[in-house]
Amino acid sequence: MSSRTQEELSVAELVHYGPLSQARALVTANLDRRVSHVELVGELDQVRRCRPYTAIVLHHAAAHGVWAVESALRLAWERGASCVVAPEDVGVPRSTVQLAERLRVALFAVPADPARHALDLAGAIASPSAARAMLTARCAELFGERTSARGIVGVVNAEVPGVSAALVAADGHVLAGQSAAAAAPGLRVPVPGPDGRPWAELVARLSTDSPGWVEVVRTILHLARAPLAAAVARGRLSLADRVAEDRLILTALLRDEPSPDAERAAADAGWRTAGNHVAVALRAEGVSIVDATPGLVARWRETFADRPLVPTADGWVTWWTGDEATAATVARVVEKGLTRLAAPVALTAGVGRPGRDLPGLRRSLTEAGLAAAGRDEGARVRCFADLGARVVLACLPVGEIAAASAVALRELVESPEGPTLVATIAAVLDCGGSTSQAAARLGVHRNTVLGRVDRLRAKGIDIDSADRRLALHIACYALLNAWPTPEP
Amino acid sequence: MREISAADLPALMTGSRLLSASTGFIVDACLDWVAELVDRHGPVPLVGVADLPPESPCAAIAMVGSVTALAELPPTGEEPELAVRALEARLGHPLRAVMPLAAATVNALFPIAAAAVSGLPLVDCDGMGRVLPLIQQSTYALAGLPLTPLAAVGAAGDVVVVDAAATRADPLLRAAVTTAGGWMLCAMNPTTAGHLRNAAIPGAVSRLIDVGRVLRTAADHTALLDDLTRVLGAKLLGSGRVVELSHDTRPTGPGLPANPTSVAVVEYTGAGRLIRLEAQNEFLLATVDGAVAAAVPDLLCLLDRRERRVVDPESVVVGDHVDVLVIPAAPVWHTPEGLRLAGPRAFGFPVGHPREGISP
Repeated sequence: MSSRTQEELSVAELVHYGPLSQARALVTANLDRRVSHVELVGELDQVRRCRPYTAIVLHHAAAHGVWAVESALRLAWERGASCVVAPEDVGVPRSTVQLAERLRVALFAVPADPARHALDLAGAIASPSAARAMLTARCAELFGERTSARGIVGVVNAEVPGVSAALVAADGHVLAGQSAAAAAPGLRVPVPGPDGRPWAELVARLSTDSPGWVEVVRTILHLARAPLAAAVARGRLSLADRVAEDRLILTALLRDEPSPDAERAAADAGWRTAGNHVAVALRAEGVSIVDATPGLVARWRETFADRPLVPTADGWVTWWTGDEATAATVARVVEKGLTRLAAPVALTAGVGRPGRDLPGLRRSLTEAGLAAAGRDEGARVRCFADLGARVVLACLPVGEIAAASAVALRELVESPEGPTLVATIAAVLDCGGSTSQAAARLGVHRNTVLGRVDRLRAKGIDIDSADRRLALHIACYALLNAWPTPEP
Repeated sequence: MREISAADLPALMTGSRLLSASTGFIVDACLDWVAELVDRHGPVPLVGVADLPPESPCAAIAMVGSVTALAELPPTGEEPELAVRALEARLGHPLRAVMPLAAATVNALFPIAAAAVSGLPLVDCDGMGRVLPLIQQSTYALAGLPLTPLAAVGAAGDVVVVDAAATRADPLLRAAVTTAGGWMLCAMNPTTAGHLRNAAIPGAVSRLIDVGRVLRTAADHTALLDDLTRVLGAKLLGSGRVVELSHDTRPTGPGLPANPTSVAVVEYTGAGRLIRLEAQNEFLLATVDGAVAAAVPDLLCLLDRRERRVVDPESVVVGDHVDVLVIPAAPVWHTPEGLRLAGPRAFGFPVGHPREGISP
């Protein structure tokens, strides 16, 4: 008996692919209630005797007017009926609809003969598997018509009553569908990617868990897998195409004299070449640009929508266009966006100064690249304008120069006061040879600095030697940047 | 012995409006005419049915037809006496008293007019305790008093005497009423005071005056409801705003005058229960959230909360703020026979009366 009960259809199922699809739904409360019986009511007193989970169909003989429909609703509520179906010509007013909403009794109006409708309902609930097969077939048909993952998951959410579904990536990110479905435990069906490897999961939350119904939903989810894999493959292909196309256009645009074709292609891609541009360059240490591009561009689009992200030899570039764009505002947007993006690789960004039209964009891109290449550990987003000429230093291969310096200045570096003397050289040279300014910067007495300069001379290092000063300055800069920061 | 003077008539009409659940927009013209008759002929003695010798012949006086037609074709003034004399002629003996068939609207006034012009006392009773649409829907009929012979008089001076079975008398009379101009004044239910004792709703006329005084003098809304509960046993079904009004909302059987109307009231308080009133001339059925809460023969009426006036099915409009009151009918109406004659089923509602199965 219990298995028979579990196979029963719900009101929602009768609405979606049963006879109630012909009815006008006036109140759609409690659609998850199952329907066990159908009662064609010719006299109101019949409702008083009906069993729970009955679909009550009011015949004209009982629907004496709006008051009779309301009485039937009331009795249906008292008896735990599943829904009330009234003849359309009774003319159910707003107040009656509100009463049904308050009682949470589903109410439908049918234009045709209620007796025939009752027969159709009885037929449907007598053979739930036939009705469910129709649902499965309908879903399969609709899956074939949808080309995106969102559309395919949408079919499940729209057509399968009482089910909310989502497509969830391996890291828990919801790719399509309802996030609520992803949060709750329910049915899970693995979805392979175009390469056949596990890619995501279709998860579904069911409002009822009768075994028959669970099987129907599982079948429908299985049917969705192949169309989903196809949709993903299409998406990946189109993403790869888009990235390659963008790269080509940007390369053509950045030539000294771009062709009209390049400018037309840029316009087709939705890029504005005229106006004020602020360029941004992204870098990721130790990552293959080619490998990281598809994943990064996909995430970038989720965060920055249609703003292009074009791969280059060193990383990726993008730009903001508009008179309101300044380096500071763009830096803020990028900083926030990178946080939201949560890319699996560590990204740093450089922001160029604003520039007008294509020459300005070109310059801004170069500046952004320089700013991004710096090794300032503190900041994820750096503005070229803030760094100025220092970007040149930031581009130096500090590690290699430090290693060379350690060899060239071995005696100095390995002496007990090596670090102090290196810092003193850097300070004196930074201050243009002024020992008093260097003393102030180092926080020592000028005589101390003079003493250290004498000791340096004794080691054969002459700060005043014009032909060695630049090499010495760079070597100390590299050493100070390569050494670990002393504990305060 | 109590008397009805012209000074009592305004209170009587106010009470009558509540118990007929109608505004009585036309009866004001009749009121002046009857007041003038009472002034001319002297106050009408109001006697209890037990105060009359049992063998005293008496008959009910009632206008049958449309009150609107009465406004268009006012009485000449001769009708009350003509009706009494025509019935006396048919019976072959004089009447010793007259009584109302239904002490409400104009039918509360015509018996007073008949009593005044004929010099007869008015029995303090009636046969409905409210307004019911058919002349055989009375406690007189319920007690087995004959409806006929009855004498009907039209405004043109037509006199029709009907001798027929009770169920045929109403359709026959209505055919005559149509020809006579839309209304006729009738003397009917000829009986004796002895038989009337067990057939009438006692005190129906004096109750109108008492209720009228309450309505005219109540200090405020709360006091009014308290007084109506005290005097009539009225019960407040709910208070709210009229949100919908629809006409011809349900099929009706033949023989009932007027068109059906449905009034939806949403309560102010709590969950905002839906009170639906089904009417046809009078309010006949009240459901609260779909459950039958009150029905004929109990009297359902709407009181405008702001103006403290009775709102009838014809004058109610969407947006009215109303109290829905239920005034219990005379106990005899709650007997199985009473409910069969004037319960909801008699008006085409296939539902039981809320008191069905409860001994009156």
